[in-house]
Amino acid sequence: MNIPDGILCSKTHEWVLEEDNCASIGLTDWAVEQLGDIVFIELPEIGSTFNKNEVFATVESVKAASEIYMPISGEIVEINEQLINSPELINDDAFAAWLVKVKPQDFQKDSEGLLEYDDYKDEVQ
Amino acid sequence: MTTEKKTSLYDEHIKLNAKMVPFGGWIMPVQYEGIIKEHNATRSASGLFDVSHMGEVYIKGKQSLEFLESIVPQNLKELKEGQAIYCQLPNKEGGLIDDLIIYNAKNIINDIDYLIVINASRIDFDIPFMQKEAQNFDVEVIDKSSDFSMLALQGPNSQYIIEKMGININEQPEFFTFKKALLDNCPVFLTRTGYTGEDGFEIIFEHKYASKLWNKILSYKEEFGVVPVGLGARDTLRLEAGLPLYGHELNENTTPIESSLGFFIPKEKQADYNGKSLILGQKLNQIPLRRKLFAFIMEDRQIARNGYEVYIDNKKTGVVTSGAPSPTLGKNIGFCMIEFKNLPSDLVAKLNNTKESIGTQIQIMVRNKLYNATIVKKPFVRKNYKK
Repeated sequence: MNIPDGILCSKTHEWVLEEDNCASIGLTDWAVEQLGDIVFIELPEIGSTFNKNEVFATVESVKAASEIYMPISGEIVEINEQLINSPELINDDAFAAWLVKVKPQDFQKDSEGLLEYDDYKDEVQ
Repeated sequence: MTTEKKTSLYDEHIKLNAKMVPFGGWIMPVQYEGIIKEHNATRSASGLFDVSHMGEVYIKGKQSLEFLESIVPQNLKELKEGQAIYCQLPNKEGGLIDDLIIYNAKNIINDIDYLIVINASRIDFDIPFMQKEAQNFDVEVIDKSSDFSMLALQGPNSQYIIEKMGININEQPEFFTFKKALLDNCPVFLTRTGYTGEDGFEIIFEHKYASKLWNKILSYKEEFGVVPVGLGARDTLRLEAGLPLYGHELNENTTPIESSLGFFIPKEKQADYNGKSLILGQKLNQIPLRRKLFAFIMEDRQIARNGYEVYIDNKKTGVVTSGAPSPTLGKNIGFCMIEFKNLPSDLVAKLNNTKESIGTQIQIMVRNKLYNATIVKKPFVRKNYKK
């Protein structure tokens, strides 16, 4: 698993990577490890908007359903359709398996309080 | 703060990197390498479960049989030495305090007439209840829950592992019987029972043998594909096999008939037992059911979970008691309790008839949306017992 440069993580275990005013959002490797086998994912509609910390998706392991929170505010511009039929790809590589791409409302402001990957790792361990 | 109890195998679970969770007052492994992998290994080869949290009770005294006949709906007179039977423990109103397995232990356990295995989460309810009921009989109810560790070895290869450990296939106890045995030189009670729908064993022994037996069994990984299995796969395995879990499908307000255990309730029994008039009345169709447990398969990809609401024709009428993806079927399955109050009488008549109820369309509320499901026959997956 490759950890992309510049990735930021939330305390609710989502990662966000911003490039050219487009932010990819996924689940951290630690979160995926805790969930175990992921068997289902529900993603939002393209064009819908969410505020930071709002629930935008649900992943289900064999054992339970977990809500996924927006690490930043923004509009959904793309969803990872591949995950709908193959949610186990999230288990294979948490950082390759982005869930949604978002047009950020104010990335600069919203990214305050997000952690760099190494600091996040220290926090959860 | 409550502190969960640890089984004798706690350190072994940690060594194997198990994910530990609180369950019924205990800290137990929920998974080792992954629920799906553990589930499939149990169906195709063999799975080893630490079930030391389960409770054990000894019954002894002149009136052991009369006492037990007064607290369970089953006929125990025909239960021969070494035989086991699945039973329920009703309260005075016919609801269930627990479900349990009763073993006739005469001439197997010294001085003891019956061994009962009960649910971990119900030990604190069962023991006082049984001891109070025992006051009317010449009988002793002895809580042995702290004295034993217990393993379940389940799946088609389990018999070969037991053979390697010193008990030939033709000397192994038959389905729903038990015997005293030396397993890898450790004295155990070896039972042919389980909670997965597969052939297999449950093994009860003193704590000091726990690590030795655990590691010996797991040493057959290469040869027989045995893996350690946590509570996560234990739940999906029992759900596929259509077996109820106390606190989900069974509770103090629901009779065994309403929980779809009618198959296990004899139509005729001489002795009186707690809740008899309601339970037997329902069994004989003389008293209407208030609610009933059904097995269902989701038509959509959404997974029903414990507590989700159940609708029929857009009317809320019940609740999901257990739900999960079925690794064997590749579909999402579950149990639900449907309340008959407020349902039209023709629908109740249809649901009351097990055959006719199959195929009934229901809806499950998942995250504020209704999704279709169909009532099906249980079990979801054919049982693979060696009878």
